[in-house]
Amino acid sequence: MVSFERYKLKNGLTVLLHHDKTTPMVVVNTLYDVGARDENENKTGFAHLFEHLMFGGSVNISDFDKELQKAGGESNAFTSNDVTNYYDIVPAQNIETALWLESDRMLSLAFTDKSLEVQRNVVIEEFKQRYLNQPYGDVWLELRPLAYEKHPYKWATIGKDIAHIENANMDDVKSFFKKYYCPVNAILCIAGNYDESGIKSIIEKYYGSIPGGKRPSRLNPAEPKQNSFKTKTIYRDVPSNAFYYAFKMGPRKSSDYYIGDIMSDALGKDNSSILNIALKKELELVTEINAFITGSLDDGLFIISGKLADGVDFNDLDKALWGQLDEIKKIGINNDKLESLKNKINTAKAFQEQGLLNRSINLSFFELLGDANGVNEEGFIYQKISGNDLILFASDVLIRNNCSLLKVAINDR
Amino acid sequence: MIDRNTAPPTQKIQSIEFICPQTIEINSTVKLLWVKNVPNETSRIDLYYNAGLRNGRNIIASLCSSLLLSGTKDKSTTEIHKQIDQLGAFFDIGLSHEGVMISIFALKENIFEAFCIINEAIQCAVFPDKEISEKIRVKKEKHKINFGRVGFLAQRKFQEKIFYNSPYSELTNLEDFDNISKNELIEFHENFFQKGLFKVAVVGNIKESEIDSIISKCKDSCIDKPLEYYSAFDNFSGVFHEEKKSAVQSAIRIGKTLFNKTHADFFDFSILNTVLGDYFGSRLMKNIREDKGYTYGIGSAVVETGSSGYFIIGSEVGIKHRESTLKEVKSELENLCSTEMSHKELELVKNYLLGQMLKAADGPYAMMDLFLSVDTYDLKMNFYNEYIERIHQIDTKEIISISQKYLKWDTMSVISVG
Repeated sequence: MVSFERYKLKNGLTVLLHHDKTTPMVVVNTLYDVGARDENENKTGFAHLFEHLMFGGSVNISDFDKELQKAGGESNAFTSNDVTNYYDIVPAQNIETALWLESDRMLSLAFTDKSLEVQRNVVIEEFKQRYLNQPYGDVWLELRPLAYEKHPYKWATIGKDIAHIENANMDDVKSFFKKYYCPVNAILCIAGNYDESGIKSIIEKYYGSIPGGKRPSRLNPAEPKQNSFKTKTIYRDVPSNAFYYAFKMGPRKSSDYYIGDIMSDALGKDNSSILNIALKKELELVTEINAFITGSLDDGLFIISGKLADGVDFNDLDKALWGQLDEIKKIGINNDKLESLKNKINTAKAFQEQGLLNRSINLSFFELLGDANGVNEEGFIYQKISGNDLILFASDVLIRNNCSLLKVAINDR
Repeated sequence: MIDRNTAPPTQKIQSIEFICPQTIEINSTVKLLWVKNVPNETSRIDLYYNAGLRNGRNIIASLCSSLLLSGTKDKSTTEIHKQIDQLGAFFDIGLSHEGVMISIFALKENIFEAFCIINEAIQCAVFPDKEISEKIRVKKEKHKINFGRVGFLAQRKFQEKIFYNSPYSELTNLEDFDNISKNELIEFHENFFQKGLFKVAVVGNIKESEIDSIISKCKDSCIDKPLEYYSAFDNFSGVFHEEKKSAVQSAIRIGKTLFNKTHADFFDFSILNTVLGDYFGSRLMKNIREDKGYTYGIGSAVVETGSSGYFIIGSEVGIKHRESTLKEVKSELENLCSTEMSHKELELVKNYLLGQMLKAADGPYAMMDLFLSVDTYDLKMNFYNEYIERIHQIDTKEIISISQKYLKWDTMSVISVG
């Protein structure tokens, strides 16, 4: 049970407080309700580039990291297709430094040309390191636009083209900040061993005077229902043929998310999963097979991916894989297996909640979904899932007309 | 109105309380360490075996550790995994030159049973032919994929130079996968798993009686005299480049033979290492990422071995920035040797390090990990208090002298691939 208190400042900033007296640290977590799905199709990669710029100095403080490090703290951030999240971990006695820094960059940035120029280059190198200079590194750059036709999930967080990052200019940066980085669009979670009696007044001191801003509207085009199977083959210098089956599924807030999560564990999380046993151990068609979900806030993807064993044809795998999926639609998953999966989810959750940082990020994320207390409820949702739920999910989601298949084939030329 | 231009006052960390785990002797050489006081339901058991790469051919050590749960006389691998799953338990197997660590994670009510299943599977492993050939296929595949990564290639080359002419310099090649005998595996398993357990660490509020049972179940597989480690490393210095045509980035690794926690200069060098490349505001990050934008990240580290250690700088940079990066790294090292850093910068690093130390001591798992990291070298928890004291005391002149002693460019092995 993660206890917390929630309230709002007058300017609209949502605050979550989670007190833990067993730690000497404090986490200041700030989640902004903006991600790659909010980008203009001709200026992709911007939410993530912007995350880098948030460390390039704010209106009153020229060096964010330096000040935090002086207080014994550290900081990092991540951007997804849905959100941008920043966290600072500091010794509890120096919490004020983190609030001073975080609130100043919520107030306004320094917007220096040097910072923009350098971070553009850093992000371009990140693009190369993660997506271009790795075997199979560009798979998500190809798979997203195959699976999504209308919704902005069709581009990756890093952006769909390096040129978009190269062309980002200061006007874009300023208007992006103005639109998304304001109290009404943020959730602040303070977790750890802060002084309970003074915490609210100190939050008020640093955040109370920041203009609240206007909640930006989000008008993402809905992804139309997929009616036919899609496939694409790309040729790369890779050691073996790889496959990525992507099925559309419901959004994070739907029951699809929880059922899909268990289903993906059942099919391909580890050695004893159904596809590992059938396709890797018994039929020896693959050297690797995994299943997972993207867990996106809007309609997400259920992915089955893997690599073919030497001499195995894509079609052999295809036939065997659909055979397995059809079997599940008929007979489901046995009860022992389902119980095991739920037990593993329980354990994983207990370990996850051990960490202060995880707790504060999770509280913020669930608050964005509608209620931070979701952290304490999701365990029950998993436990209630039945074999029949899984059969219905498989029959509804894991079907050919709802599938996009990307094949990465060895480049023989 | 608040003054946003002035930093709020901060408090320096003066001391941290380090709590030792309880130590129980399994035999005169092997101990079980136990942190019992855990404020939640989680628990972890680590088993350390003397079954590292140094004990045989790389491919045999690596296959053996990944086939530990591949089946016994009575149970198939699938049955073993199913039993572990039913308990909601997880495990992780880590292999290094000097050992294999198996970590078991579960809720405290299940951890003992999970341990029993895994321990029995390890001790009674029979290495079925089918499992061996499947694992070879999978590993060979992963190896091939790794050969497409400049980071992997540079790390190999680095390993060759840093462990030059020592038993640690062997590299795994694709043809090794076609040259494996089952007997070799069985022999390795007998020597280093059935008779190779050298430490057990338990974190979790479990029953005393369960600890007793763990001890009795472990007894037969324990080693009976202390392990010895190779120490005569001497890196092969020089600049080495390997071309990789299709690459859009070059991987860089720079380093030299160093030492571990037992060395008198360890504290000073650790502090120097932080200044140079071990935090976001480090010299290397500030110059190569935040000023020049050549890379997404660059860092440095001290890596310890049982009786020695090495220093390493690593990065992946745009192809056209390779030469300039090497030049800048060289000048950063020279700068530390010749120019006294500002008191302000050293003060910042001190505060940062103390904050990191506080974080590293947060909670029972962190405390166990801190203890394990000194116990390996027969040091005591007091090591960290001494480190904190040294952080408080060290001055800018001492940073220069430690730099001059260890950061000479021409003593480094400099590798780039791409």
